Amino acid sequence: MSMPSIIKTLGTSVMVAGMAFGSSAVAADAQLPGNVRVVIGSTSTGGDTYQNSSIVADGLAEHLDINMKVDAVGASSAFRFLDRDPRGNTLMIFHDQSYLGHLYGVQGYDDIFEKYTIGPTVAINPGNAYLVPKDSPYQTLNDVIEAVGNGEEVRVAIQPGGVSEIGFSALKNAISIEHPGMEDNLVAVNTGSQADKNQQLFNDQADMINGTVQANEQYTRLPEDDQKAMRFLWLTARQGTIEQAPEDGLGQTSREQLLQYVAPNVSVPMGNGDDFTFDKEFFFLYNKDMDQAIVDQIDQALTEIYDEGEIQQTQKTSFFIPNFKPSDEAAEYLETKMSVYEDIITNIQ
Amino acid sequence: MLDILSLLDITFFLLAALGALVGIIFGAIPGMTATMAVAVCLPLTYALGLNHGLALLLGLYVGGISGGMVPAVLLNIPGTPSSITTTFDGFPMAQKGEGERALRVCVVASVIGGLISAIVLFLFAPLLAEFSIKFSYVEKFLIILLALTVIASMSRNMLVGIFSGVIGIWLSLIGTYSISDGGNGKTRLMFDFLEPYLFEGFSLLPVLIGIFGIATILLEAEEGIKSGLASQNIKFGKGGGFSFGIFRGRLTNLVRSSFIGTFVGMLPGVGGSAASVLAYTQEKNLSRDSSEMGKGAPQGLMASESANNALTGGALIPLLSLGIPGDSTTAVLIGAFTLQGIQVGPLFIPENADTWYVMMTALVFANIVMFFLMFYAIKHIAKVVLVPKYILYPIIVMMCVVGAYAINYGIMFDVWTLLIFGVLGYLIQKVGLEVAPLIIGFILGGQAEVYFVKSLESAGSYGIFFTKSPIALVLWGLIAASVIFSVVMGLKSQAKRQVEAS
Repeated sequence: MSMPSIIKTLGTSVMVAGMAFGSSAVAADAQLPGNVRVVIGSTSTGGDTYQNSSIVADGLAEHLDINMKVDAVGASSAFRFLDRDPRGNTLMIFHDQSYLGHLYGVQGYDDIFEKYTIGPTVAINPGNAYLVPKDSPYQTLNDVIEAVGNGEEVRVAIQPGGVSEIGFSALKNAISIEHPGMEDNLVAVNTGSQADKNQQLFNDQADMINGTVQANEQYTRLPEDDQKAMRFLWLTARQGTIEQAPEDGLGQTSREQLLQYVAPNVSVPMGNGDDFTFDKEFFFLYNKDMDQAIVDQIDQALTEIYDEGEIQQTQKTSFFIPNFKPSDEAAEYLETKMSVYEDIITNIQ
Repeated sequence: MLDILSLLDITFFLLAALGALVGIIFGAIPGMTATMAVAVCLPLTYALGLNHGLALLLGLYVGGISGGMVPAVLLNIPGTPSSITTTFDGFPMAQKGEGERALRVCVVASVIGGLISAIVLFLFAPLLAEFSIKFSYVEKFLIILLALTVIASMSRNMLVGIFSGVIGIWLSLIGTYSISDGGNGKTRLMFDFLEPYLFEGFSLLPVLIGIFGIATILLEAEEGIKSGLASQNIKFGKGGGFSFGIFRGRLTNLVRSSFIGTFVGMLPGVGGSAASVLAYTQEKNLSRDSSEMGKGAPQGLMASESANNALTGGALIPLLSLGIPGDSTTAVLIGAFTLQGIQVGPLFIPENADTWYVMMTALVFANIVMFFLMFYAIKHIAKVVLVPKYILYPIIVMMCVVGAYAINYGIMFDVWTLLIFGVLGYLIQKVGLEVAPLIIGFILGGQAEVYFVKSLESAGSYGIFFTKSPIALVLWGLIAASVIFSVVMGLKSQAKRQVEAS
């Protein structure tokens, strides 16, 4: 056992002893237990949720000198684990899917703003993208909007009921504004994983797919005669978000190139004069009955961690845009964000 | 090239070997899988760095897949879902006192399957990835259908077998029919009060362990304590009756099964268990004499084990040349790359040549370590059957319960699933239904439905199943051949029984 870990263990023991000693006297000073499980709303350990949650959990564990373990259990299990545990042993990290699932009426998703305590936001994945085959006739997203407006059917492969669908819904909404009555020509091809969506494009079952910069960037660098070659048409992130990405961008696609695909260069009108944008944001969710002291403790710890500035570097290296907001601010911010998307989804129904 | 050699230090090889050893242990414990082993060790890749991390994870992967053979042969419990066909011949051999021999056959078949698939991966990965994307929903459905035809040829009584298979398929449909899969996102085939538990249906592994393991234990318990396999009946030492001569004339089987395993592995979304099931069927249909298969024939073990180890190389093909994991374990493995900020996609191999060679080295080395570890440890492992059953079985039940609880990170209903299917497995054997077809129906049923519905959804007519591509026609040919073969064999054995009866 190395010296720092001995100190760490000793520290933990002292902390535990202290907690046992003073627990009845100062209940208001409740804090995170020594072993914390962070459940995430995805079953994938190769995905952005796991990656980002690991970065944050590692940072917190080190800062608070406790153990934290990220488990990729998937949305419905994660919500259930969280429901059962008001002690703070189980925390959840998820993204906008948690309320979009509810807006789209997916079974297993409740209103998170009612049922849970919203914790701090930690980062944005700016990579949500729409792509077409490299030899597609559509050069811009506007070409797609015009084609659909002219009665052409355009099929878009998405995973229904959430983050993957929201851009599609916004596009449909934009078409209904610019070419009323033609929006039904934009057809959703419902699929699951990214692999399935790509496959739809390879097999000519879809004209456009939802993807990500991270998963699809290499495909955009293949030669045009390759069946698998793709081209970005649209990134849903805000311009200000992509501007914070590292200058080198991702792979061999620079930040400069990525900026071509975001609003206002690519415009998806919402009808109120603004363009639609969507940043996929990661945040904590807590059991409603978890002690406020623990909420404050995590806010406090994360504030200190983000003040140190190291975590931002790690996040940026992994193509995340740091976006820390303490829990109160985050809850208000996310609720406003949700109401915008709620309008879009209601409009096209 | 020298750059690569400098990456391969002693720690690298030690980690690959350690991975293989730990993987074997995970695979051998019912309820623990290669996927779990990789998932548990994934965060270690932070500390180890990419190359050392990959050595450990690939070792775990190879070891985990191989370890599944041990309980499959000795206890009739598939340690991993892909070793289900290993139980068909392995357990009967163990009951005859040939457990050690059976395990050695499995180990040799495994290493051959693993190495063949590694060679295929090394030489043809980009080319095969190109081929694998030609498999749309239609072709994937036909592959599953082909694997399902095994039900007919495997059952003792064809009608009962097919009926059992249909029950298995029915059980697999319980749960939510996801909208991503062409459904309506609602739960089905259950009462409302069961929704919180059966939202995602019965989990595969608890069902598998229950219906094989717990049911076997119940059947044995019914017979009471008896001496069972007395040690004098069991051939120990000197290879337990094993010699490499057993592989004479079996090269075709090994190579064919390895290629089937590699091929199924590289098709994303077609689960690993389909590989060994397909290889097993093909051996049954194509070999000159398959009458002993299912009663303890080494050729069945060779087909099953070479195919399931060949999955490893196969599943890495789409991962490394498309960025798409080929099976559940490689889906976890992809995390090792993303955690290090490395993109996997069509340009992974050309852009990360060093990592690519490092992975190949680890994969081949892990296979070799797995072989030596298991081949020489087997005579000790095989002695498990000498442990008195009143001691052994409670321990197994306890491990099964722990494994079932852990498989989805702590869901108590998985433990109930294990016990329910344990009792069910016992009962269906009592009423004369067949377990193997039922479980194959259960494993493949869900996928069959999804690909069937998605095919129709994208094409709109049944004709698509025949007109999609030349690949589809070839698959139909194989399905027809498999069905005709089963019918002919069924009639033959019926005639034989009648002759014997008269």
